[in-house]
Amino acid sequence: MSPARGGPAGRPGRAGAGAAARAPAAAGADATSAADRAARLAAEWGPVAGRVLLALVLAWFGYHELVQPGLWTGYVPVLSSTSTLAVILVLAHGWVLLMVAVALGAGIAPRAAALLAAALLLEIVISLAVTGGLSDLTLRDVGVLGLAVCLTGISHQRLALRR
Amino acid sequence: MRLGGDPVGRWGLSLLAVAGVLGVILAIHGWAGRGSGIVPVAAPGGTSSAGPSAVGASSGASATPSAHAATPAAPTASPSSSTGPLLSAQPYASYAFQVWPGTLSTAAKQALTGLTVSVRRQSAGLSVTAGVVGQASASPHVYQTGARVYVVEASMGDDSGNSDYNMGDDGLVVTDSAGRIVP
Repeated sequence: MSPARGGPAGRPGRAGAGAAARAPAAAGADATSAADRAARLAAEWGPVAGRVLLALVLAWFGYHELVQPGLWTGYVPVLSSTSTLAVILVLAHGWVLLMVAVALGAGIAPRAAALLAAALLLEIVISLAVTGGLSDLTLRDVGVLGLAVCLTGISHQRLALRR
Repeated sequence: MRLGGDPVGRWGLSLLAVAGVLGVILAIHGWAGRGSGIVPVAAPGGTSSAGPSAVGASSGASATPSAHAATPAAPTASPSSSTGPLLSAQPYASYAFQVWPGTLSTAAKQALTGLTVSVRRQSAGLSVTAGVVGQASASPHVYQTGARVYVVEASMGDDSGNSDYNMGDDGLVVTDSAGRIVP
């Protein structure tokens, strides 16, 4: 409901009171339009912020998995953390994370990149849940998974590299 | 070209190609350095060198509460006396938190998550037992009196509750009173 509606501004013969009432009504309208503007701004740039922040997370993990795979082999299910295959899998995982991070950050096929990120995060969440049950770590990754899933549904994004 | 409903042009593909090559270079770097991890890990049998070794490698500093610690180790009959390099000179020094002597710091308590480390004073020296929660502890190692025990944890982010999701960045280091690593 608009704050201007229902006020005394429209009553005949009360010009002074009407003028006095119009000021808060106008202020209310301004507040509404400011809220609308903020909502529009958030709707326009929120996905970009989410995309870039998700890209930062994936890039950080991807980079560290690539440069120090030995610290991450403990997360590889089934395989021994000392096995060569575990190191190779961590390197491959890190490479994919880095690629997805670049795609998300630059806005290259953002929905496909977000879908791939969601798949990777789902794999991580399942792996953590199976090995350690529901914990703060698992639920934190569930939140990041939710962000990735959200981004898969946003078609028109700002700062996307389409060329 | 369209990917997942979004157009992908030459610039996008070029950027992905550059990132892919960069990723391969980083992977080669990581593969080459896989034998020089920052966290020391002991050999299951207790025979080890004092220098830093790869995670899961067959050498390390001391009895280590890694995933391999469950492997029974031969009991040490006499206190270890030979010493190696200074702990402070090791790349993992900043991740080492003192467990003995003194009271545990908050960081040390967190670093011990998922591990069981027991230090006891004996007539022969200091008896140190380490293992992973839920697994059988290795046999104790005895060190000379005055030894200091440190737990190494490169990243606390893999600890949750009483579980450590990734033992690959955990270790245990024992030094003499001068701070030199005891094998």
